[in-house]
Amino acid sequence: MKKKKYWYKIDNAGKIFPAVSKDARSNVFRLSFYLDEMVDLLLLEEAVNKILPRFETFAVQLKNGLFWNYFAANSHHFKIALEPAQMCKYFKPMNNHGFLFKVYYLNNKITLETFHALTDGAGALHFLKSIVYHYFKLKGYKIDHEGKILSEKPYSKKESEDNFVSNYDKAMRKNLQEEKAYHIEGEHFSHHWFLFIKAKVNTKALIELVKHKYHATITQFTTALLAYSIYKETNDFIGHKNPLKIFVPVNLRPYFDSVTLRNFSLYIKGSYASDRTDWTFENMLELTKEQFADQLNKDKLQSRISSLVGFEKNTWLRIMPLFIKTIAFKIGYNILGERISSCSISNLGIVDLPSGFKDKIIDVDFVNAAYGLSMTLISLDDYTNFIFSTPVKELAIINHVISFLVQEGLDITLDTNFKEGYDEIL
Amino acid sequence: MKYCKSCHVHYDTSLEHCILCNAELEQEGDHISIYKFSEISKRPLSKFFIRLFFFINIVSALICLYLDFRSGLPLTWSLVVTITNIYVIIMFTVLVVPTLWTSKMTKSIIVTVMAVILIGLAIRDYSWAIDFVFPIAVGTNILLISILIVTNKKKWYDYFAGLTIITLIGLIPGLFNLINLTSQRLPSFICFTYALFTLLGIIFLPSKSSREEFKRRFHV
Repeated sequence: MKKKKYWYKIDNAGKIFPAVSKDARSNVFRLSFYLDEMVDLLLLEEAVNKILPRFETFAVQLKNGLFWNYFAANSHHFKIALEPAQMCKYFKPMNNHGFLFKVYYLNNKITLETFHALTDGAGALHFLKSIVYHYFKLKGYKIDHEGKILSEKPYSKKESEDNFVSNYDKAMRKNLQEEKAYHIEGEHFSHHWFLFIKAKVNTKALIELVKHKYHATITQFTTALLAYSIYKETNDFIGHKNPLKIFVPVNLRPYFDSVTLRNFSLYIKGSYASDRTDWTFENMLELTKEQFADQLNKDKLQSRISSLVGFEKNTWLRIMPLFIKTIAFKIGYNILGERISSCSISNLGIVDLPSGFKDKIIDVDFVNAAYGLSMTLISLDDYTNFIFSTPVKELAIINHVISFLVQEGLDITLDTNFKEGYDEIL
Repeated sequence: MKYCKSCHVHYDTSLEHCILCNAELEQEGDHISIYKFSEISKRPLSKFFIRLFFFINIVSALICLYLDFRSGLPLTWSLVVTITNIYVIIMFTVLVVPTLWTSKMTKSIIVTVMAVILIGLAIRDYSWAIDFVFPIAVGTNILLISILIVTNKKKWYDYFAGLTIITLIGLIPGLFNLINLTSQRLPSFICFTYALFTLLGIIFLPSKSSREEFKRRFHV
């Protein structure tokens, strides 16, 4: 039976986010489903509140302990809201009945924005799929869930497990040191606004290109393409003292047989020297393949998990009062946190929906509004969306990526949250 | 749908010009694309006024300190103004940051008591602050939170942290009595005794749920 009163320690990945998040660094990511009809907001709110008790890891509020924050059960009614203009907007949980996620509606779009302390992309996708499934049920549609909707499966305690801790092996710890990375600089949009550009391509054509011409995976190809575009389109990268480092989050669940809905991902990275002037796309791709093959190894991943968890198990850190930890995390994150990565690419893969959803969900967005330039990839039915998000008023890199894909023969459809006249406001 | 002849990309949005090359977009077929996001509008200048408010308070404090210092006498009235300026800034921050109202109340009382004591020190007459204001304000806060916990048992764990902190602060007047800092001992004694009994109650009357709450709040 499910408990009404429960609490969780925050997982390793989520511990730092409550301390370092602010308007300019929200640590919020977005998933949206576009329906083939206008959203009924009353039914949407009912659907969210109906499934919330099933998702114990989402029905929580952040509390302060003496030494650490923690998640406590939250039984408040959840209110949905109209989607704001600013993507992945920082929000104070206190203004959201304590919840650490937001559900927005706009015309035919249902959006879930989640604070990263709560879960990662894979966990949030399960939640959004369940919300939309229940929304359709309340609308009166009869759709077979085909075992693909988590809310229709019995609750398992494994969904709430902290798999960072359960895969901790003291003997595998090693010293993690990360050098500083090259940064994409430029003027930012006002009001913490993020530019969003979505490039939609046919998945078959993309696979044809990536697999058969370049013998790579889509993530390897995209990472190398982004690196090559930065190399080609920036003035200060060549000769810069720091290398270009593209962080790519890896879903650890398949590696460690996990079904957790909490954070369980780690970054691997593509690293490119700034003292080379003879980079070509092909040699960047070869290097990316080598680096990914080297890092995507279960033992190496477990060693990194153990090192990260080992850090939080440090006795001095544990007994430090929360308010001192918060100050230390803020200082540490400002000095190191954002300096170790140049940009990120997050590939959520194919959104696996029941066949009854076909034609009812016509598009999907996945946005990670992080520092510099972020790219995400998400596939639905027979197309894939490359989504760029950036707070910087600089389009040369994005332009180069898109031009490269066009030159390779892909048919691209763009969408953006930019409008004529925004230059005056932003 | 629209099309950019220069970049060879289609557009499924209401833009008239290509975002990549600024070329005019051509209409493709009959399908009219719409803008799929909420429109941004000019924001009110609330942050500017907040900054202005902080700036005026700091300038006011600095000018007063300078004028008082120029008189050649020990600083008095300027310290009162400065303490009040700082108090206003802190209180504004406490009230603006969204949190439980009990937490706001506890923080407000702590900040107010500290400001009152500092003003007492500034005018070289702090006995009224330590003898009366401190114990009465803190004692009243303990009483209010205790009543809240008793009357709203469902939410007692939300008030728990505030009660623990204010109870510990409530022991301080006893310490003042002990080191002869007070001239009127009764209010401090009452506050200390009440805080002590409340603290003993927190420690020795735990139910299963309060033990759980302890576990959560103090987990390492």
